[in-house]
Amino acid sequence: MLEIRGIRKTFNPGTPNEVRALQGVSLSLPEGGFTVIIGTNGSGKSTLLNAVAGSFFPDEGTIHIAGNDVTHWPEHKRASLVGRVFQDPFKGTAPGLSIAENLALASLRGQSRGLGKALNAGLRSQIRDTIAGLNMGLEDRIDNAMGSLSGGQRQALTLLMATWLKPRLLLLDEPTAALDPKSADKVTTLAGEIVARDKLTTFMVTHSMQQAAAFGDRLIMMHRGQPIYDISGDDKKRVRPVELLEKFEELRRSELLDEAAAEMLERSYV
Amino acid sequence: MSLLIGALSLGLILSLLALGVFMSFRVFGYADLTAEGSLTLGGAVAAVLLVAGWQPVAATLAGALAGALAGAFTGVLITRFNVARLLAGILTMTSLYSINLRIMAKSVIPLANERSLVSQSEHLGLRIFGAPAISIAGWTVTVRDLGLLILMVVFVALVAAVLLVFLRTNLGAALRATGENPQMMRALGTDDRLMVTFGLALSNGLVALSGALLAQYQGFADVQMGIGMLAWGLASVIIGEALVGSAPMGFTLTGAVMGSLLFRLMVALALRWGLNPNDLKLITAGIVLAAFLLPRAMESFRSKKRMPAHA
Ligand SMILES: Nc1ncnc2c1ncn2[C@@H]1O[C@H](COP(=O)(O)OP(=O)(O)OP(=O)(O)O)[C@@H](O)[C@H]1O
Ligand SMILES: [Mg+2]
Repeated sequence: MLEIRGIRKTFNPGTPNEVRALQGVSLSLPEGGFTVIIGTNGSGKSTLLNAVAGSFFPDEGTIHIAGNDVTHWPEHKRASLVGRVFQDPFKGTAPGLSIAENLALASLRGQSRGLGKALNAGLRSQIRDTIAGLNMGLEDRIDNAMGSLSGGQRQALTLLMATWLKPRLLLLDEPTAALDPKSADKVTTLAGEIVARDKLTTFMVTHSMQQAAAFGDRLIMMHRGQPIYDISGDDKKRVRPVELLEKFEELRRSELLDEAAAEMLERSYV
Repeated sequence: MSLLIGALSLGLILSLLALGVFMSFRVFGYADLTAEGSLTLGGAVAAVLLVAGWQPVAATLAGALAGALAGAFTGVLITRFNVARLLAGILTMTSLYSINLRIMAKSVIPLANERSLVSQSEHLGLRIFGAPAISIAGWTVTVRDLGLLILMVVFVALVAAVLLVFLRTNLGAALRATGENPQMMRALGTDDRLMVTFGLALSNGLVALSGALLAQYQGFADVQMGIGMLAWGLASVIIGEALVGSAPMGFTLTGAVMGSLLFRLMVALALRWGLNPNDLKLITAGIVLAAFLLPRAMESFRSKKRMPAHA
């Protein structure tokens, strides 16, 4: 479904701010799989998802989605295959448009937009029914401005929008990181339900070890722009949050060792 | 009475300018300077075509189309060449000054003796009322003024209605959403660069339409007629928002039209009471500035009131 081969991305190359965000990542995600990514801050998780979504083109490597070589497709063209939820709950919706209008826009994801009425009676009642399923009491407010909702409500709606038309690939970049625990739970549950119901191929970044252990059939840990730990099957099923924390601790120690070694080298040679 | 009718007609003509500025300022969140050039462009193209004997409606629409092209040019500068939005507007506006002079071949084109929408509405008025002047509640009004007013009411209502319907279509909704959140629209499969270009074309098309009508109304096209018009449009939009507040789409559009009418009426009265016409642009700018500062001043006033004074 998703084939990533040897992608590299360096931001601000040749400047003091040079960041090698992706250093040769290759991954193959099967149809219907749910892959979770964890990793330290700045390890390149978002960059990897953005590369798949087409926010920028990689310096090297190729990306295939559902058999299409999308390496050079612009972001808006990939949207016909990809549904997306952002870390920032305000990035996925337009605040000045009504809830119904936002969903109507999503109902044409990846399709051409003509001069037909954005909202007809049929679509309105469909939107109302779907939103009623959220149990957030929003079904009576579909003509209110999106901007009048909380971050959690907007994120739940972004999730509905990303999956309104079944995407070949669903990208979730820490969808609950900016939410309070209660809304985070709600959005997480919703995501799990939708993914299971539509059997969506999903690629999710998370900071929560609980989520990482509970969700998905595969777990990848990123470090310095590379996947360094990749488990699936029974290993993934058995993994517990504490073990993942230990992995992080292990990484931190080896980092410290690296630093100590570098310091020693520096002292003896400079 | 004729002061009132004149102010209403002019206010209606300029409300198209307000709708155009509304598109760039409220939908895309910035004031597009191209408007100053495209207003003149609309007037210039319409004037030249009228002199060449074109049908007034066709000449007017051609003026609007030229403005739309100018807006699209600014859009291409912004989206394809990554020129900063303000600079792109300045570049187009500046180039348009020369282009407009080229089109007009002189700095003023008189239209008083040409067949135009004004002369046509005079015929219309004559046909409806049967006399060159009638009296309304004791005031004498020329049917020329009255015919023009009727024509403008119909014209502006039509344009505003079409715009409103358009903004509620799939394409129109995508346009509005792109102004607020281009990242979201890319994620939903719409090329935000195309949308920005299209939105600026629409905005400047409306502004140029206003210019084409303005030239016919005042009886001449003038290469300077666009100067200061962006602030004028902004003032109308802002006054309109003060009138209707933050309301659904239909009301905000109507608000911009009403804002334009009210503003023109106030200006007409002020001129009547002896305001020097040369001071008009200064006052327009002052109103726009006040409209920006007032809400903030009110806010800080309120928060001061909330905080108890320390003894
Ligand atoms: N557009 C950009 N320009 C410059 N540097 C960037 C850009 N995007 C990301 N980076 C850098 O690339 C590195 C990886 O960033 P990325 O956002 O992928 O990390 P992350 O794993 O998602 O971290 P977090 O957990 O904090 O979200 C960071 O050092 C970041 O500063
Ligand atoms: Mg991130």
